[in-house]
Amino acid sequence: MKSASFHLNLLKDTERLSSSPVRLRVMLPVVALFACIGMGLWWAILFTQLLMVRAEAQDIDEDVKAKSKAHAEAISRQDRVREMRQQLEQLTYYRNGVRAIGKPLAKLAEIMPLKVQLTDLSFAPPPLDPPPKPGQKISPFAPMTNVETQRFVIAGRTTKETPVVALMESLDSAEFERLITREKRVKSFRQDATAEKGGRRLLAFEVEYTMPERRFAK
Amino acid sequence: MDADYTTVARHFQVNAPWKSISGTEVPSAHGQTVVRPRSNGRPPTGKLPPRLTGLHSLAWKLLIDLMVKIQLTRSKTIEIGFGGKGKSASNSKVDMTGVELFSGESRGAPAVRLVHKKDGWHILAAGFVPPPNGDLPQRWEDTPHQPVWELPRNFQSPSAAIAVNSGMSSFSQASAEAILREMSQGLGDSRPKPHTAISPRLSLKPQAKAEEPQKPAPIGRKSTLPPPGTPVSENGRRFSMRPLAEEGFHLAASLPEFQALWLGRLLPEGRRPTAASIQLAESALMASPLLHPAFAETKGNMLAIFVRRDAIYFAGYRKGEPVLWRRCPGVKGYDAMRNAIGKALGVEEELINDVLEDALVDPRPALEPFLHPVLHQLDLARAYLAGKHSMDTGKALLMGLPYGASHWCHMAEESVKMKLVPGHPFDGITLAKGVDASLAHLHLVALGAAIAAAEVET
Repeated sequence: MKSASFHLNLLKDTERLSSSPVRLRVMLPVVALFACIGMGLWWAILFTQLLMVRAEAQDIDEDVKAKSKAHAEAISRQDRVREMRQQLEQLTYYRNGVRAIGKPLAKLAEIMPLKVQLTDLSFAPPPLDPPPKPGQKISPFAPMTNVETQRFVIAGRTTKETPVVALMESLDSAEFERLITREKRVKSFRQDATAEKGGRRLLAFEVEYTMPERRFAK
Repeated sequence: MDADYTTVARHFQVNAPWKSISGTEVPSAHGQTVVRPRSNGRPPTGKLPPRLTGLHSLAWKLLIDLMVKIQLTRSKTIEIGFGGKGKSASNSKVDMTGVELFSGESRGAPAVRLVHKKDGWHILAAGFVPPPNGDLPQRWEDTPHQPVWELPRNFQSPSAAIAVNSGMSSFSQASAEAILREMSQGLGDSRPKPHTAISPRLSLKPQAKAEEPQKPAPIGRKSTLPPPGTPVSENGRRFSMRPLAEEGFHLAASLPEFQALWLGRLLPEGRRPTAASIQLAESALMASPLLHPAFAETKGNMLAIFVRRDAIYFAGYRKGEPVLWRRCPGVKGYDAMRNAIGKALGVEEELINDVLEDALVDPRPALEPFLHPVLHQLDLARAYLAGKHSMDTGKALLMGLPYGASHWCHMAEESVKMKLVPGHPFDGITLAKGVDASLAHLHLVALGAAIAAAEVET
């Protein structure tokens, strides 16, 4: 049983009004107006920001142009400074790589046996650097490798083998470790033909010592 | 005429574009498919969805209560409220104020605020409100004078149902053909006409057919009935109709278009209440006993007598659906009865009510000439219900009669062997504090308008 069967409503749906105080036909224009104002404000803010950014960019551009010469000069100076620092560094490397061999050489005279006559003391040149790789930057002041190994060759005359052995044993002492290592090689030991003219029979020898590594480092 | 109705009904079923957009198909009492519009657009309330229990349901209810509801209504306005429940009438799904306009009551316009709560129906307020400042327009030229009407605070429900008494209205039980004929006629032909003018088949008398016009007026361009319950405007009048439980007949209400427009704009937008329904007083009257306990006791199979100041009506209900509506011919209402008693007994106006209630004075000799045709028509109505609908109506509900009901009951028992049951309009409804029920008979129409507009399910 429904009262809808009795409800003969003469009011059309389109005529029904809402009791709510908030009405769309009032609120819609108000909201639209506020939306338009908001959009306008937003656009104005954006436009102002754009103008400000443009002006700032122009100022920066002019400033960059004005400072570009000074900037280039500063850059070139910085490059020079960097280059000189590198040179200084290389020189430091060389200073650190200097061998102090004066004292061992002076000591050498003291330990030299009487039956030995030195004919030559020489430092063999270091082996040649390998050829640079293509595109490898070569510093004009720096060696190709940081470590350099040389050989010290002692050549002389003697009457017999024993003084030479004694010399070699003396050179093995700690006083000569700045000059040579214990790595050695008897390069030659033969009869000296030039000395036989005087009627005495002499023997010529050559002993090659490996020197301590020379390091180009700080 | 049945054939005509069948044609019309078939036309509905074939050409019914409104079915999909404005209503739902439901079978009527007589097995025919009718279209009922959807509910009156009320927003859905916070109903608990299935599978939510315990904490979920509590959380859901809290959410519903606290949620601000923004809804676009049909009138293109935004409704903002808290939750799906009414503000002033808490826990209520329906909050409707029924108000009767132009009833001739000097105290004001009768108004009733009807609310449905969990424990049933309540009347929050009943009384007389100041009428609108202006008369119901009698012609199109009067409509620009549109007053703005506001109800007192205790009647400010969200919606209002207006029941109007208009001399230019028409409410009747009629066939489809008669309704179509009236719709095809212009406004000039339709004012003011007797209430039975478009119900040529209602009479039980065999000679009633002879009274029908032999040559029915040609039906105009309008050849189909509008959907049930949907108001339509035709030839300057606003029509609304619903099929009766009796095949071939409809309840039809019509009002001049300018009066409907005037009434629709009476309560302004943005203030409580606004009009949700405009009904004729007779239509509202017919819905007034739906909440009465007698209606439920008889399971909606009942005969009712409505006594008004200017007329007496008979209404028949079968399974809660209307099957009969008839104005008692040749008899005026309660005022006429008072005048008859006053003249016959020589009693002053102020004493007539006392005479009707006093056991020492027997007013029946004075009442009999007045009541005789009423009881005769009551007997005819009973016979009609028994013959047409196989209803055994041994008793009838008597409503709207403030004094003298006992005499009516006694004379009905004697004259037509029928028991009259006097019913108080507010029976079956819980009254709020301060509601005066002593003048409830004057609020019958307002209550009926609220009940009908609330689309009560009993």
